Amino acid sequence: MTLRIPCPNCGPRPHTEFSFGGQERPHTADDAEADFARVFLPDNDPGSARERWFHALGCRTWFELARDATTNRIG
Amino acid sequence: MTSGSLRFEGRDIPVREGDTVASALFRAGVRTFSRSLKSRRRRGLYCGTGECPNCMVTVDDVPGVRSCVTPAGSGMRVERGRGWPSTEHDLLHVTDLMHPLMPVGFYMKTFVRPRFAWPVAERVIRRATGSGPLPERREPTRTTSRHLHADTIVVGAGTSGLSAALEAAGAGEHVVMCDAYPVGSQVPPGRLLEAIRALETRARAEPAIEMLERHAALGLYDGPTVALASADELVQVHPRRVVLATGAIEMHEAFPGNDLPGVWLGRAASLMAAKHGSPVGKRVVAVASTEEGLEHLRALAGSGTNVIAAVVPAALVDEVPASAEAIADGELVSAHGPGRIRSVMVRERGQARRLRCDALVLSIGLEPRDELARMAPDEPVEIVGDAALGGAVPRVTGGTLCLCEDVSAHDAEQAWAEGFRSAEILKRYTTATMGPCRGAMCGRALAAFASARSGQADRAAAARTTARPPSRPVALETLAASVHEVIEKRTSLHQTHLAAGAELGWSGGWKRPFSYGNWREEYTAVRERAGLMDVGTLGKFLIAGRDATILADRIFPGRVADLAPGRSRYVLALDEAGYVADDGVLSAFEDGSHLLTSTSGGAEGMDARLREWTHRLGLHVHLLDRTSELGAILVAGPRARDLLHPLSDDPLDGDSLPYAGHGEVTVAGVTCTAIRTGFVGELGFELHHPRSRGPELWSALMRAGRAFDARPFGLDALELLRLEKGHLYMGQDALPDDTPVKLGLDRAVDMTKEWFVGKAALERLATTPLGRRLTGLTFDEGPEDAAVLRGMPVSAGGEIVGRVTSAAASPALGRSIGFAWIRTVDGELPADGLRAGEARATIAPTPFYDPGGERLRG
Amino acid sequence: MAELSTSQPVVTAVLASSEACARVSALPGACPVSPVEVAIVGDASITALRQAVQRLDPDAVVRDVSDGWVAHMLEGPGAREAFARLSELELPASGFVQGAVARIGVRVLVDGDRVELLVPSMLAAHLRARIEDECRELLP
Repeated sequence: MTLRIPCPNCGPRPHTEFSFGGQERPHTADDAEADFARVFLPDNDPGSARERWFHALGCRTWFELARDATTNRIG
Repeated sequence: MTSGSLRFEGRDIPVREGDTVASALFRAGVRTFSRSLKSRRRRGLYCGTGECPNCMVTVDDVPGVRSCVTPAGSGMRVERGRGWPSTEHDLLHVTDLMHPLMPVGFYMKTFVRPRFAWPVAERVIRRATGSGPLPERREPTRTTSRHLHADTIVVGAGTSGLSAALEAAGAGEHVVMCDAYPVGSQVPPGRLLEAIRALETRARAEPAIEMLERHAALGLYDGPTVALASADELVQVHPRRVVLATGAIEMHEAFPGNDLPGVWLGRAASLMAAKHGSPVGKRVVAVASTEEGLEHLRALAGSGTNVIAAVVPAALVDEVPASAEAIADGELVSAHGPGRIRSVMVRERGQARRLRCDALVLSIGLEPRDELARMAPDEPVEIVGDAALGGAVPRVTGGTLCLCEDVSAHDAEQAWAEGFRSAEILKRYTTATMGPCRGAMCGRALAAFASARSGQADRAAAARTTARPPSRPVALETLAASVHEVIEKRTSLHQTHLAAGAELGWSGGWKRPFSYGNWREEYTAVRERAGLMDVGTLGKFLIAGRDATILADRIFPGRVADLAPGRSRYVLALDEAGYVADDGVLSAFEDGSHLLTSTSGGAEGMDARLREWTHRLGLHVHLLDRTSELGAILVAGPRARDLLHPLSDDPLDGDSLPYAGHGEVTVAGVTCTAIRTGFVGELGFELHHPRSRGPELWSALMRAGRAFDARPFGLDALELLRLEKGHLYMGQDALPDDTPVKLGLDRAVDMTKEWFVGKAALERLATTPLGRRLTGLTFDEGPEDAAVLRGMPVSAGGEIVGRVTSAAASPALGRSIGFAWIRTVDGELPADGLRAGEARATIAPTPFYDPGGERLRG
Repeated sequence: MAELSTSQPVVTAVLASSEACARVSALPGACPVSPVEVAIVGDASITALRQAVQRLDPDAVVRDVSDGWVAHMLEGPGAREAFARLSELELPASGFVQGAVARIGVRVLVDGDRVELLVPSMLAAHLRARIEDECRELLP
């Protein structure tokens, strides 16, 4: 009874099999202020955003997808 | 034909075959089935199909049972709910007279002050409302949960549903059909029931159709998934296609007197008369605007009910049975009591007429049951049959709008006047649609009210409040089916510990020994002789592949690139905010691979972290979670080597296996990776071995240790041992937003490295003074023995400046010690004047015990 | 009805490049865990396998990890029905699937009326207890 996440290896699965990794973001930034924004200030815009997910109870791989947080539509 | 009797408030009521609890009680003369929630008005049978709350009684100690759809069973115990001293004669009915003093939402405004009165008011209110008390003691019924995959699910086993299922099965699909009730049980005898039975026979003969009766659809979810609940199971159906054939219920309108006992919806009256053989009254007025209504009218007349008048559209006047007076295009204005219906007011050709009667039967429109479709608009749902109809628009002219929550039309007017001007906000303020019917009966009326008042009567349908699961009330024990047990991890020494009399408890998702009977003796054994501890719960990970060292270098803030084969090093794991997420020990091997250990509770997170950074940095690394595969036993104490000597031919001296080193040793015939660690502050060997050989290794070690009374030790002893050694517990001493500097762990950080996870955050934080710091403390508890406990505040000059995170009386130091985080002033800790609870606290460097680490090395 | 039995499986982990893993996936008993990991359930001559894999990926890791796994087998006409009480996963007629079973990550090998659940050994006792409880009516 859940949001379905399409794992690239295993196919669509209930979100309870996954851990959510937050918004996709680069792992570095230009300076201290940019790094603070990178870590603590995600864009949080309504509409589609790229996210990172981890298939914790399945293949245990990380992947990215686009999800619209207002409609929950993926892709 | 009688089949036994049920017990109702001190008397035996005969039960006939096919009876529901309601029909048995009705036949025995019961007319008031419940009292309304707030005003305690009498309520009689109304919908007959399990939608409204009026017929709710307590059956066999379970309150809130809808008697109109519950088959009567011999020996059942039935009681009505609200009412003092009884439902029949409820003195608290006086609250109805106090209605002007209790406007909508009054409870949110009235009982706020004086605050001391609230507990009293709450008790009184609780006793006065609610469906009835819950039983003190009741064995939970066993509910199972299962998943079901199918091509199509058809919700609703009426004619449309059965037809859709047969069509799908004919096309080769595997079809699941469900209905909240047994097929056809909601339909009075007649043409419709015959049609259903014919389709039912074919459907039951079809092997591709799986029929789930008495399974109510609670909700439609992403997937799609449909959740069904029956009395003893929860079924989650995962179809490719959803067909909703949930039908329509007869419309509920709000007009003055609409909730009087004796006001019936057509289906209820027709079922009672034609199916159960009880006429609903001696002088019945019917209002029928639908085809179905005329059917009910015919059924009533046909079963011998005296219908004195029928209000119908002019075009259908000829359909009215001859015995009744046909009133063409009349308008039902109001129903009048007192206590039960005694007359109705009808407007005919502009003239008001009063008709004396003892029952009013209404079939004035249909309200499609479409809430499932509205729950998940993105899912592939097909709506067939009556559920696909537009639905009539109910009038709201007075009376009760929401039966379940006892919200009157007047309440809605008042709420509107107060400024609550949409169906959604009216719902929240008045609680209309929030009762057991889930808005099935009153949702449209509420939306119609809001639309009409806002001058947008045409948008009534669009104004409906959001449909959310469950669409019918469901017991928590049904939802909890199969979700009973906490997930428990065990090492291979579990039975060994039990046999040794260990007291096991929860720690980090594992069942672990806290002690084996006397933790103080265990502590002493480790300090003076030797102890054994099962540390198989540690996270253990193989990091291999050509970028293994690069990954380690980037993930851990400390220097690891120069970790030589055969050496081990304490490492921290930071998150991108620079906070300490976990710690562990990294050991390097000849072939370039590493073995990483982490805390027991942090294992899954560490595995996820290793994989995350391998992925994000695009590194060529092979990761293997060995947490289950390897057991680990810690042999610690000044005589640890003496214990191991007889069991191993391998050299275990300080040169061959130095502190912070590791090597492969065979102990009692078991090949182990031995890591020299110092968590407890004594000479220690952490023996990592294949899980299956744990019990034999432990037995051999215990036998060898008997010579000098070595003891197994658990988490209680460990707590003190590690505290004396100044070691932090993640999650206890380290909080989720502690950086290495705050914890005094800067030695595990090398800021000269080019990049590591969290480095930028640490650089940024280094420019501001620390707000707080974790520090070791010793305590003078004084002769009053004011014991310092974990969680106690730390104060300076009467002001709270921190909190104790760990504390214990240390035998080795002869005083109490602990950790606390303490607020800094300009980055510095207060020099003196600290107190922890009643005791004086002094900042002390750690480790408290053996600060030079001599007992660890060698 | 279904029979529940527990055994110690032989499991070999192959961690290698996606090309090597794709080749290994064709072997009997091979379960493709991820593009870069294959688990071989059942006897496998590790030395030969390691040589073959390392020819394609010199960096590859091929290890016996049997100690890390326990197999619970449900067998009989009620095996799939029992599984449906424990998991939302849709089982193929035969093959390998991995996902949540009784809320833990499990590797499932299925063939007709035989459903084999490979669970990390630290969770084996827990899963066994869950199966016995949830599937009570279906087990002897």
